[in-house]
Amino acid sequence: MDTGPLKGLRILDFTRVLAGPFATRILADFGADVIKVQSRKTAKGTEFNTGAFFSIWNRNKRSITLDMSHPEARELALRLVAISDVVIENFTPRVMSNWAMTYEDLKGVKPDLIMVSMSATGQTGPWRNFVAFGPTAQALGGLTYLTSYDEGAPIGTGYAYSDPMAGLFGAVAVLAALEYRDRTGRGQFIDLSAYEVAAALIGPALLEAGTRNTPILPLANRSNSGTAAPHGCFKCKGTDRWCVIAVYNDAEWHALCNVLGDSDWISDKRFATLSRRKKHARELDELIQQKTSQHTAHALVTLLQEAGVPAAAVQDAEDLANDPQLLARDFFVHLPHPTLGNTVSDGSPIKFRNEIGQNWKSSPTLGEDNRYVYMDLLGLTEAQFLSYVDRKIIA
Amino acid sequence: MIRSTRISEKNAEIMKPARKNMRDTLLSGIKILDLADQKASFGTKLLADMGARVIKIEKPGGDPARKTANSSRKSPPFRPGFSFYYHNTNKLGITLNLEHPTGKDLFLRLVKKNDVVVETFPPGYLQKQGLDFERLREAKPGIILASVTGYGQSGPKKDHKTCDLVAAASGGQMYVTGAPDSYPLQQYGAQSYMAASLFTAAAILIAVRRQRRSAKGEHIDISLQEAVLSTLEHIVLQYFYDHVTPKRQGKLHWNHLFYIFPCQDGFIQLTLFEQWETLVEWMDSEGMAADLTAKKWRDNEYRLKHLDHIITVLKNWTKTHTTDELFKLGQLMQFPWAPVQSPTQILSCPQLRARDFFMDITHPDITRPLRYPKIPMKFSEPLRGPDKRAPLAAEDNRTIYCQELGISEGEFKRLSSEGVI
Repeated sequence: MDTGPLKGLRILDFTRVLAGPFATRILADFGADVIKVQSRKTAKGTEFNTGAFFSIWNRNKRSITLDMSHPEARELALRLVAISDVVIENFTPRVMSNWAMTYEDLKGVKPDLIMVSMSATGQTGPWRNFVAFGPTAQALGGLTYLTSYDEGAPIGTGYAYSDPMAGLFGAVAVLAALEYRDRTGRGQFIDLSAYEVAAALIGPALLEAGTRNTPILPLANRSNSGTAAPHGCFKCKGTDRWCVIAVYNDAEWHALCNVLGDSDWISDKRFATLSRRKKHARELDELIQQKTSQHTAHALVTLLQEAGVPAAAVQDAEDLANDPQLLARDFFVHLPHPTLGNTVSDGSPIKFRNEIGQNWKSSPTLGEDNRYVYMDLLGLTEAQFLSYVDRKIIA
Repeated sequence: MIRSTRISEKNAEIMKPARKNMRDTLLSGIKILDLADQKASFGTKLLADMGARVIKIEKPGGDPARKTANSSRKSPPFRPGFSFYYHNTNKLGITLNLEHPTGKDLFLRLVKKNDVVVETFPPGYLQKQGLDFERLREAKPGIILASVTGYGQSGPKKDHKTCDLVAAASGGQMYVTGAPDSYPLQQYGAQSYMAASLFTAAAILIAVRRQRRSAKGEHIDISLQEAVLSTLEHIVLQYFYDHVTPKRQGKLHWNHLFYIFPCQDGFIQLTLFEQWETLVEWMDSEGMAADLTAKKWRDNEYRLKHLDHIITVLKNWTKTHTTDELFKLGQLMQFPWAPVQSPTQILSCPQLRARDFFMDITHPDITRPLRYPKIPMKFSEPLRGPDKRAPLAAEDNRTIYCQELGISEGEFKRLSSEGVI
């Protein structure tokens, strides 16, 4: 990436799987030169370069190989650190330590280095060496407990939500630390905990639980703020088709009654005010569902939105792939890849209205940028480079 | 039980606050006008917590979010919800009527003195007020405007009404969350707003960086729908590469590698296949492995095909343990397992206590101090001075209007009585 607002920023990226790669993808999308450090030994599973998972989360990055388990790899790694602005990793805390690549070590070769460590539970504390993936971080952080139909029967999201969120915090941390470095000349170490990320995402619930000593319970689809009723998900015509409807005021309530064709509801005392609609939510939801089930989700939502009622179809992957709104905004990104052909990934929700042109590329093949990074950037000669390759250090 | 490592002690040392430049925070000097409601207010909170100066501008009388009912029924009706307290720490609070001609003038004078404006009005609202991006840029070349809306500033659905529930449905989260035989389930905690807030914070910092180099302003356009879709791990992957439309599968993770199991005292999130042989050995040592010791279960494909049986056997075993036993023993053997913790359990967690994750801040609205989770990152350089509670409505009017804009006392009183501020 040689254009974009973050042009000139170099990031040495030791991250893997999702949370870390999500952070560096945001930076790469905007022009940072992200050098992903891989090796033949570790480029497997989610880190397999020609796998779809890898391809989605690693667009716009470079790939080099460096076998960190080789005793001579550290010297090359330190030379790479010396020419980078940021080092980012998401191992358990013992890994960088075992390589003698702690912040203290790296600061020696790059005094104003910014280093971000994204671990499961943080670099300190009794649980610091615990391991976690997204699903376990969100279980620790309360999201799984609270995302449920009923108390005491946790469901959770079903996917690793807290990984992208940790990645977002990681990207924000890098950008904030750059602001500080550019102003003061000082680098720093940032210790990000995935567990704390998940907990921070339910901040208001923790604030309430900690201040009032009241248990906080799952809400299913009831309104978080208590300011809307009806507020929920309703069955529509077809197999597993649903829509959501949220009514915040009387105008929206009357509009809903008109669209669903039951003006009796308007005069029904049980539903006359928000607090009454909340009190009789169960009866109201049943009545609404009898009506919604006679409509297809998308057609009903169009009618509701035209009448001014907040509503949406519950979109599955196929709906999303064909959503005229997402297509009009070019949300899905198509990039050619040498072996995967035409790749598709989700675009960046960060849209700059005045930024013209993107110079994006698909994810790198393993070691694709070895020569550029080791020879052009680090200044190794051809012979030196080949010697590292022969000795299976660049490997 | 846990082996102490060199890095941890070293990093604990690094974490001591730097003594020099105590006032110089991460984002010192970045000035933000915050017109946002909950769709983006966590984003500006994050920037404020990192030292940006954020002025929250509310309508005269205060942000409607102040009036949001608490989940506790007993609370008085007009006290702010906990979201308001959480999303507005370290911000200054002023009131201003953007629809009043004098209010618009005051706003443009404020714009001249700030770097960023964040807003969450429906698309077109600012233009109607004569305060669109072009007008702001005339007042202050290089201004950054961040707009956060349900569907963005363009496209056929841009004028659709939105809220967190609408974004959760339209962005694809709900369809894949919940039990297969029940209705789609919204994530807890207005997560579309959290995701949009984080993208907004990142976008602002990127734009500020570019602005400094090129003097170019920017209109940032964030859509809640896109923010939600960007936080889904598997939708794009499964649809475009595996040609599968993912469904809800309850407690089973989309890739079949995690499941939530009952214990004697709660629930635990387990991996199903990680270190399979170690897991079976462990269960077998307690006489609970049933037929899983058979060789055929070592085959990954076979296990995937007979997942129900594995879940049944594991369930019988987990029920004989407490969550803590399985969690601590499992972690000793490097199983990435975790208890499904409730907010109450999180508040008393030894790990979070050791890391000082919570801090108490008093607020005049509430007799007891509010116990805040901090931002989930520890910076070795200073974040900011003492943490400040969420502002009262109009609390900083005098400071901003009189001291910063230089409005006279008489004028200030007139503006207040005329409902401009």
